[in-house]
Amino acid sequence: MLKNDVIVTEKLKKVYGDKTAVAGIDLTVHEGELFALLGVNGAGKTTTVRMLSCLSTPTSGKAFVYGHDVAKEQDEVKKLVGISTQDTAVAENLTAAENLEFMAGIFFQDKKDVEKRVAEAIEAFKLQEVRNKKAKTLSGGWKRKLSIAMAIISDPKILYLDEPTLGLDVLARRDLWRTIEKLKEKMTVILTTHYMEEAESLADRIAIMTEGRLITVGTLEELEAETGKKGLEEVFVTIVENGGTR
Amino acid sequence: MSRTVCFAKRNLLEVSRDALSYIFCVAFPLAMLAIMTLVNESIPKEAGMTVFRIDNLTGGVCIFGQTFVMLFTALSVSKDRSGSFLVRLFASPMKSRDFTNGYILPMLLVSLVQTALTETAGVIISLIVGYELSVPGLLLGLVLSVFSAVFFISLGLIFGTLFNQNAAPGLCSVIISLGSFLGAIWFDAEATGGVILKIAKCLPFIYCTRLMRSAVKLDFDEGFFVSLTVVVLCAGVFAFLSSLIFKTRMKADLQ
Repeated sequence: MLKNDVIVTEKLKKVYGDKTAVAGIDLTVHEGELFALLGVNGAGKTTTVRMLSCLSTPTSGKAFVYGHDVAKEQDEVKKLVGISTQDTAVAENLTAAENLEFMAGIFFQDKKDVEKRVAEAIEAFKLQEVRNKKAKTLSGGWKRKLSIAMAIISDPKILYLDEPTLGLDVLARRDLWRTIEKLKEKMTVILTTHYMEEAESLADRIAIMTEGRLITVGTLEELEAETGKKGLEEVFVTIVENGGTR
Repeated sequence: MSRTVCFAKRNLLEVSRDALSYIFCVAFPLAMLAIMTLVNESIPKEAGMTVFRIDNLTGGVCIFGQTFVMLFTALSVSKDRSGSFLVRLFASPMKSRDFTNGYILPMLLVSLVQTALTETAGVIISLIVGYELSVPGLLLGLVLSVFSAVFFISLGLIFGTLFNQNAAPGLCSVIISLGSFLGAIWFDAEATGGVILKIAKCLPFIYCTRLMRSAVKLDFDEGFFVSLTVVVLCAGVFAFLSSLIFKTRMKADLQ
């Protein structure tokens, strides 16, 4: 493993009953990059993220986060990662500030630390106008921002964003993209999405998954050169349509 | 602040901001206290029926109220499990004991407040109907209510862990009905006797009611100590079971 390889998987596999969700993938993510896992629904993106964040145990193979085995060193891995799930995982009857305070309290014992983290998150995500509003009254876009703010309040080295803009309107999506772009200055971000323009706009490198298999990984330019197509959508369609034989 | 306290605080805030909590955990038991007092006043003295007399009724309604705390525990847990909220927390350093204690502690506080309010209402009613209630008895009842509260809350935690948001409340309603009936809250099981009393004695509910009634009346006969033993044991066993079931389910969810 290279010094700046923060995630390394070796034949990582997940099987549910007779369904193979992830079919033995080899993946490397570099420190500080925004890495997009792209694929249609059921491609295995979320399952991969779940295994990398200790939410699911690999059936076989290995995965290391900063050198820690996700299957054996879960406490260490959990200190290094933050996750924002597909659904907005917030406490609905708590205000935005209380949600942040709650998450900070899980990671930090000192009250001053908690207050500092909450203030920083509110500032970073521009949550001032909704800080005292209950989560259940927030729009989808605000909820996603709050959910991501909760994920980074522990100051993780790796942030998993699972379909962060799913169901958002175009303005809320663009607003969230700006937020995500700022995050990659501070941490490694793994983004799962099936929106081509999202991966194209945000990602340093893109991995394309289909039917649990990792078909290819590279920068957009590398993928375009590989397929001879222009634009991620064309690249994606070409790769996925030929995916079964690659 | 420990992770357990942090999670408990969140759960307390969630429950305290849900209007239904006040309706079911406070208003409904107090309404039953008032209605059954009216029923008692309507029963001729010569009938010799004392189950709705305020010294018996107060303890019974306290247990009735705890069955709704069980319902709210099941609702909280099943609701958390149905969304991604627990998934986020499973990816944090929280342990299963942080979750179970974090669910039990705030509901225990809710139950104590509910019992204190019910007892206060009982005192007010006793002054109106001219039947004296023992204040030391009420205080002892409040202290001992902790055991039956832990039993009911643990039961709610088990239902919330094992069943989804739709099934858990329904199953809790069955327990509320069973607890009310076989717990002899609304009828005199001793006077009824027969098969009903035998079945009731096989379940923990009647011991919860007896313990609370005996405490309120400072009636320390043999039945008090038998009830105390059964309720303390049930609280311990069900608290352990709820922790075990939650931990097992959490492990299964992380497979």
